[in-house]
Amino acid sequence: MHKLLTLCSCLILVVFAGCSQPPQPSNKILLWHWMTDRDGTFQKLAQQYQKETGVEVTIQLFAPSDSYSQKIIAAAQANVLPDIYGILDKKFIVADFIKAGLVTDLTDEMNANDTAWAKSLFDKALADNRFEAGNTYGIKPGIYGVPIDVTNEQMLYNKKLLAKAGITTVPRTYKEFIMDSQALKRVGITPFVSGWGELWMLNCFSSNYAFNIMGEEKVFATYRGQVKYTDPDWIKVLKIFADLRDKGVLIDGIVTKGNKYAEQDFALERAAFAFNGSWCVNVYHDMNPNLDYGVFSPAPISTEYPLKIWGGAGSSFVVNAGSPNKDKAIAFLKWLTAKKQQVVLARETNNLPSNREALSAVSVILAEFSMGMDQSTHPSIWPVNEDPLVLEAFEKGIQAIIIGEKTPEQVGQDVQKVKDRQMAAKRN
Amino acid sequence: MTNETIFVDKAIIPQHLNFNNFAIAWTKGNFAVYFFNSAIYTVCVVLGIVLIASLAAFAFSRLKFPGKDIIFYMFVAAMMIPLPGSFVALFVLMNKLHLTNTRFGYILCMINVGLSMSILLLKTFFDKMPRELEDAARIDGCGKISIWWHVALPLARPAIAVIVIFNSLSVWNEYILATLLLGDSQLMPLQRGLMVFQGANSTDYPVLMAGLTMAAIPIIVVYLCMQKHIVKGLSSGSVVG
Repeated sequence: MHKLLTLCSCLILVVFAGCSQPPQPSNKILLWHWMTDRDGTFQKLAQQYQKETGVEVTIQLFAPSDSYSQKIIAAAQANVLPDIYGILDKKFIVADFIKAGLVTDLTDEMNANDTAWAKSLFDKALADNRFEAGNTYGIKPGIYGVPIDVTNEQMLYNKKLLAKAGITTVPRTYKEFIMDSQALKRVGITPFVSGWGELWMLNCFSSNYAFNIMGEEKVFATYRGQVKYTDPDWIKVLKIFADLRDKGVLIDGIVTKGNKYAEQDFALERAAFAFNGSWCVNVYHDMNPNLDYGVFSPAPISTEYPLKIWGGAGSSFVVNAGSPNKDKAIAFLKWLTAKKQQVVLARETNNLPSNREALSAVSVILAEFSMGMDQSTHPSIWPVNEDPLVLEAFEKGIQAIIIGEKTPEQVGQDVQKVKDRQMAAKRN
Repeated sequence: MTNETIFVDKAIIPQHLNFNNFAIAWTKGNFAVYFFNSAIYTVCVVLGIVLIASLAAFAFSRLKFPGKDIIFYMFVAAMMIPLPGSFVALFVLMNKLHLTNTRFGYILCMINVGLSMSILLLKTFFDKMPRELEDAARIDGCGKISIWWHVALPLARPAIAVIVIFNSLSVWNEYILATLLLGDSQLMPLQRGLMVFQGANSTDYPVLMAGLTMAAIPIIVVYLCMQKHIVKGLSSGSVVG
């Protein structure tokens, strides 16, 4: 009897489980995101959208980003992704989602009306969401995501501290930067802080100068294994860090500093220069609303090649290819990235808008950051990326230079050894 | 304190006390809803775990049925699987049962999370319960369920206290599984309220600390109420009956 009851219960569960209906089109859209600081503004904009169009947009927040990513992967497996969502992962994971038929190709929408939608957005931000012809992921060329904001990493200066040292203009060359740093040191001000305890920040800063010293073709050739890290140009890049150390430019303990701590140092006026991303506007405002600071591009050391900074899409959304409300979801994203809504997002959340037309309405500091967008680049749009183990060896080598453990030449040799090993492993 | 002063005023007692942070945390973090949800989840899950774990542990300890050891070791082995490792499978299963985004689904999953440890703890306790007590109860006319209810459960009070404390703490502080299974913010537990104060790049520390203080109070109360059973429960088995 008991066995029969158990069997019946199991059968009922299985029958119920199989009774789900395929999703039907409706006047509602569901959006999942991870941006705690933008949730309030998203909710407000969703209400406004409903008033204007009658389409109800439900915004659901899942934070922190790690939990959000797990939810997205689980929902993808269960085929219950929302109409709009973001994929917080490397490009190859995005490619996997596209291959699985979970992301809509937005190219036609972007190109409609003489590419009106695409033109309104920063090209560098769109590039992050674009798969070019012949991409290594085997994805059909096209645009698969919509950037809702952009970021870039630049240099910041404290106006008050610079004035104390008698500095009236920001440094335009590396030499001027060193001279200004020494002037700051003379009046007892620490010149420079950054979160170089985090390897990606070092990667970002060092690649700016690598592009400036040898040009992007040679950088990419190194990644392909055609140029060695013992090449004089790479040694020149590494020597910058020895120079910054020797000239006393860096704050004490910079190689153990996480970016949050570096941000505190700059916000609390413990250093005059900082290297940080445009998200810092929010952070500094929270820590010290009276901080008087400005933005400038890292000072180039060479005039031979342009200095490129890291930048591109901050956060992007994609449209679920299996959604019955695909058209409504695309219409909402068009509306969200239109000038008016981008102004609201930029003003209320202090992020750089992805719509270039919205720049006229943003704060002075964000406008200064936005000027760097045209010289920005990002690993996600490079034709080739360095092996992660080689990158790690390179960045850890820089840390070793800063603490005086190794010379630039030694680091160059060490990194090349890792590169050779990784290349050999790939060949086999 | 304010977000500006928190980085400069490092004294144990801040120069300027700002109790308004508690009010902000309560309203901005929507704590009223989340407190209610967490209370419901904690009570239901802990009751569920105590009920199921004590029945299961009693069965593993006192009854004879085929595959008893294998099933027990399967429960114990489940403790070795980290929760995130089962996320995808769990989400797919709950979705098929239409239990995602429901309180019931979340409660079931949380009961499942706490069962293995609780069964192990109680079985160890029941194993050491003298057979004579059971025999005496049987002579008095008790069946298996009556023995569990009238003899085993009262004796296992210290172990149950430990289970209540551990699981209350785990459910009260749980957030990851809630994020996975629940979508509607009105169903989320208390930890969701605390997330509001932590942005990707900046954190509202004073309000977050106020929220954390409020979130910790109920669990401290539970701990204080059951304190006398804790040491007894942890050394359970040394003296039974």
